[in-house]
Parts: sequence; structure tokens; C-alpha cells
Amino acid sequence: MAIFRESRMKLTPILLGGAMVLSGLGTAFGQETRVHFINCGDDQGGGNAVHTRLIAEWEAANPGYKVDREFVPWGQCQEKSTTLASAGDAPALAYMGSRTLKQLSANDLIVAIDMTDEEKATYADPVLGTITANGQVWGAPIAFSTKALYWNKDLFAEAGLDPESPPTTWDEWLAAATAINENTDANGMGIAAASFDNTMHQFMNYVYTNGGEVINSDGEIVFNSPNNVEALKMYAALAEVAQPGPIAYDRGKLRPLFIEGQIGMMISGPWERRLIGDVNWGVAPIPVGPQGGPGTLLITDSLAVFKGTGVEEQALSLTKWLTSPDNQLEFELASGLTPLRDLPGVQAIRDEDPTWNAFLDAIATGGPEPFVTDYVGLQDAINEAIQSVILGEASAEDAIADAADLLEDYK
Amino acid sequence: MAANVKKTDYFPYLLLVPALIVTLLIVAWPVVETIRLSFTDASLKLTENYVGLENYEKMFARKFPETIFRTFYWMGVSVSLKMIIGIAGAALLNAAVPGRNLFRVLVMPPWIVPIAIGVFIWSWMYNGQFGMISGLLQRFGLIAEPMEFLAFRNSAFFSTIVTDVWIGTPLVTIYLLAAMQGVRPDLLEAAWVDGAGRFYRFRRITLPLIMPAVATMSLLSAIWTFNSFDIIWILTEGGPRDATTTMIIDTYKTAISRFKYGEGSARAVMIVLFLTLFAGFYFLMISRIAKKEVGND
Repeated sequence: MAIFRESRMKLTPILLGGAMVLSGLGTAFGQETRVHFINCGDDQGGGNAVHTRLIAEWEAANPGYKVDREFVPWGQCQEKSTTLASAGDAPALAYMGSRTLKQLSANDLIVAIDMTDEEKATYADPVLGTITANGQVWGAPIAFSTKALYWNKDLFAEAGLDPESPPTTWDEWLAAATAINENTDANGMGIAAASFDNTMHQFMNYVYTNGGEVINSDGEIVFNSPNNVEALKMYAALAEVAQPGPIAYDRGKLRPLFIEGQIGMMISGPWERRLIGDVNWGVAPIPVGPQGGPGTLLITDSLAVFKGTGVEEQALSLTKWLTSPDNQLEFELASGLTPLRDLPGVQAIRDEDPTWNAFLDAIATGGPEPFVTDYVGLQDAINEAIQSVILGEASAEDAIADAADLLEDYK
Repeated sequence: MAANVKKTDYFPYLLLVPALIVTLLIVAWPVVETIRLSFTDASLKLTENYVGLENYEKMFARKFPETIFRTFYWMGVSVSLKMIIGIAGAALLNAAVPGRNLFRVLVMPPWIVPIAIGVFIWSWMYNGQFGMISGLLQRFGLIAEPMEFLAFRNSAFFSTIVTDVWIGTPLVTIYLLAAMQGVRPDLLEAAWVDGAGRFYRFRRITLPLIMPAVATMSLLSAIWTFNSFDIIWILTEGGPRDATTTMIIDTYKTAISRFKYGEGSARAVMIVLFLTLFAGFYFLMISRIAKKEVGND
């Protein structure tokens, strides 16, 4: 007992001293306020190196604030940020698909981004459309993509078509796909119709090249239109000359078919240029429908600033810093993303690689992802319409009308 | 007199308290909270309002009865196949054949392989362009062109069942094999001496004796299959056109994908109700089996 008492007497000052040291350290660390930044993907790639440097510069200019960048895989990223926010433990800022911004703002989870007219003027109008709801800007675009039509020149030649002349209208497009289907061992077109978000994305390219819309600028659902019925009929007609069973394919699964020469054409983004390897390919604007003009779906991802974190001001400052024109362009070039703004540096990219033109020219006439408060509901309704027509279980007219009815609940 | 009155011993109850607290925290509280949420409009908003039965009304107005029927159909077919193949497999593995132990090991991989990896392998096999199944069917002249098994309602529905059966059968087989090994050999030998054939012995001796194990495994398998999420989600995400949307998939889509926590909770409550019924049956059956065994003793 005496030994125990003696050791306890020695232990007490040690514990007290330790506690004081720890408390001092805690105070020292406590001076740095955490700015929690959820970033989708991993910490690899040139773009992230740019961001790492930019964040270090921002921290130097904002003493007392430490950016805690958390990388979350794409599949769970948006869900994680949204769930944290709804549970009252939101990140300061997060990388989000711009399509979610209206839902987040309607639920009072994010703050509006105060953009000056000068800042807004640096973006093309359709790009601004991807982040604006109820007259306010809810996110700062950080990543951007447009779509174009890839074609296999060898299959065009084999089918008796001019390999240097991609289709420019829907009639030419269907004729070319049919010719490939009939005159080669390949299928004419790659069509995605799986229960995935990019099925709806693919279809929106048809909607926008035929003058259609899902929701107009007044927030009304205008999906039930002759333009969209025609677009769905075209989608179904191309599915007839596409790879068998398009409902089993999302857009990503079309790439191997294109690489293997099993499909003559597919619609996709600029990243495919690095991935489709030895195929003798070309890329052109998406063919134009009978009632429309040039168009494409514009998809942006944005940095969103969440409410109630206590560091909203700093998160806004960091957001603006990362997405300022020069910093954003440096990030895009390092990441291989489509440039968001038409800056002088972009012309150099076009000159160096003319295949960028099909993607960059489409920006001015592109349309945004429909901005609604229940994006997944919208996506399911449109995918359901596409699948019902491809399976021959509904007419395009009925499918579009049914989807339009459902969309009223999601706007 | 007073000396004869036994004092209640509270100590055993005290020992149960930690387990009770844990159970209340991780089982009871979430269930109660789910039931509460099912009567609210809980969503991404930080506030929620009481909406009465609105979530339940919405749920039944929109295809939910179809989803319930589909869930039971999916579960019924899958569990039946698992039990039939499991009983046949267990009987074969119980037979005195050379290399029996090796076969017993070989039956396990579908159950040992992580589910996601197994399901991805199946998704490749179901592919029409590169998949093995379509390729073999074409080679044997059974189909003229590539068949995408996940692209059509019926084929997608049964493809998900085949994968579920592939993953779930090994456990059923091993469980029933253990039950078969508990059958007294002298009963089978006596029947053999009396001239009973192999199938007759199986049907009249083995099967009745392992019936409690068959019933138990059927119920457990039904509960697991009812709750099966990953197989369908990875293969089809519930498509095409909801052909593979079971109650658990529908609940996930509503509550997690669309952040409609109130409506999702109403669906979850329905699942809890059905699973409570299964569990009730299970405990009833276990108690009857136990009583029967006590009677036999």
C-alpha cells in the first residue's frame, strides 16, 4: 500500500503537468479554424496539385484558417455532403453536381454566391443557367463538360459512307447508322438506356438539338411538347440500329464497343479522346433535329457553400479564389476539362488540338441540366419514358405525357 | 414465517442491463424513430412537420402494391430454388463418393467471395457482347444474336434471381449437410436391410428427420432474401422499368437517393412489419420443434 501511495504521489504531478501541456497544445491548435472542404474523387491528377498550391496560398492570405480537404469517391460524394448538411454537420464547401443546387437551396442548406455582373459576364449564358435559380447564383462552376458525336471512320468507309463527312442532321444520322448496321458486322449507333443518370443526359442532347425543353425559364414543366416526342422517337429509332439490348448499357459501357469497332457512332464528352485509343475516329457536333438547331447538354459541377458552419465567409472567399478565371483555367488545363470561360488561353487549346472545337463551339447554344428540386425523381421519370418506348411498351406520345405529369411534382 | 419468504435476487437482472441498453440504443430507438419519421415530411430541411398518414397514402397510390407483390415473387422463387438445389447438393455431398471433402470445399466459393465482386462477375457474364452466357448460347445455336440479359424485364428479373441463388445456395447446402450428418446411420441401414432403395430411404427417413433444419433455413433464407439489396442494386438498380425494384430497393431510392426521409421511413415501416411476421413464424416454429423434441425425449 505504501508503495502504491508513493507512486501515486509521483504520478499526480506528472498527470497534472501532462494535462497542462495538452491543454496548451489544444489552445495553440484551437487558434486555427477548420474549413472543411469535401472534394469528389481522389487526390491524384494534375488538377489537384494546382488546387493544393492554391489552397496553400489562400491559407497564407487568411491566417487562422486551415482548409481540411477530404476526398470522397464519386459514388458517395454528393450523398455524403448532402446527408451531413441535413444532419446539421455540413462541410464548409463541397464539390456538387450543379443539378443538386436548386434542391439544396430550396431546403435552405446552402448560401447564394454573390457574383458581380462582371464576374457573371465571364461565363457563357447557358453555363450561368446551370447554377442560377430564382434569380440567384447558388454555386461556382468548377468542372464542365459538353457532348459531341464520335464516329468510326473505318466503319463509315466499309458501309459505303464518306468517312470524312459525319452526319449533320437527324435524317443523315439515322441513314448512316442504318447503313452501318446493314453493310457491316457492326451496329450503327451506341445507345445508352440503363437506369442511370447518363441515360437522361444522353436524351437531353436530342431534346436540345430539336428545340425542346424540360422546364422553361418561368419554372414551368414544358416536357410534353412535339419537339420532345420527336426526340424520343429518334432515340428509339436509333436504338433499333444500335447494339442489342441498350437498356443494359450506360454511357460508359459504350466505350469498349466503340474501341472494338462494334458500334459506328456514339455521343460522349471530350475525355473519350484520350481513351478510345487506336480507333480511326472523328468527332463532330451532335446532328440537328428537324425543329431545332445546334445544341448539347451542358453539365457543370460547382463548389457549393453550406449554411450554418460559422465559416461561410471564408468558404465563399476560398470558392472565389479557386474559381477565379486564371486559377480555374490552370486547373482545367491540368485536369483535361472543358474550359468554362472563353479566355484568350482557350484559343491556344483549339489551335493545338482542333478536336476541341466540337465541344467548345456547342457551349453557346447548349442547354443546362434541368434545374428542379427532386433531380433523381426527374431522372427516373425520363429514364422510365425512354425505356418504355425502347421496350415497345408505350408510344413516344404517351411516354412523354406520363413523364411530364410526374415532373410536375419534382420542379 | 418471515424467514421462509425468499428475497428477490436482482443481480441477474442487473447483469442484463448493459445488453438491454445496447439493444434499446441500436434496435429499439431506430425503429421508434423510423416510425415517428414515417408520419412526418422529413427531407433535407432541418425542420419537419407532422403529416399524418400522407406518406402511407402516397406510397400505396404509386405502384407500391406491385412492389410488394414483386418482392414476394422474387423472394419465393429465389428461396425455393436455393432450398431445392441446397437439399440436392447436401444429399450429393453426404453420399460416400471419392473426393467428397474436396467437393465440400468447392461448393463454398460463391458464399466466400465478397458479394460485390461476385455480382460484378455475373454482370459481365450477362453482357451480350462480351459475356460468356450469350456467347455459349450463340455457339450452340440457341440464340441468333447477342442477348443482353439485363436489358429486358423478364430476363433481368430472373437474372437477378439466378445470381442471388448462386450466392445463397452454398450456405443452405452446408447447413443441410450438417443436418443430414446428424441422421442416425442405423435407421438408414435397417431400411437398406429391409430392401428400401436409395431414393426411398432419402424420402422417408432423411428428409423427415432434417425437416426442422429445412424449415429453419427456409425462413432464415426468406428473411435474408427479402432484405437482399446489393445484388439487385449492382446488376440493375431496380430496372428496367422497375422490373427488379423490390421493397428494399424502393426504400433506398426514396429515402437515400431522393432524400425523402419521411416517405422512405413509411416504406421501411412496411418492411419491418413483414419481417416481424417472418420472425414471428420463425420463433413459433422453433418453439414447436423444441416442444416436439422434449416430447420425444
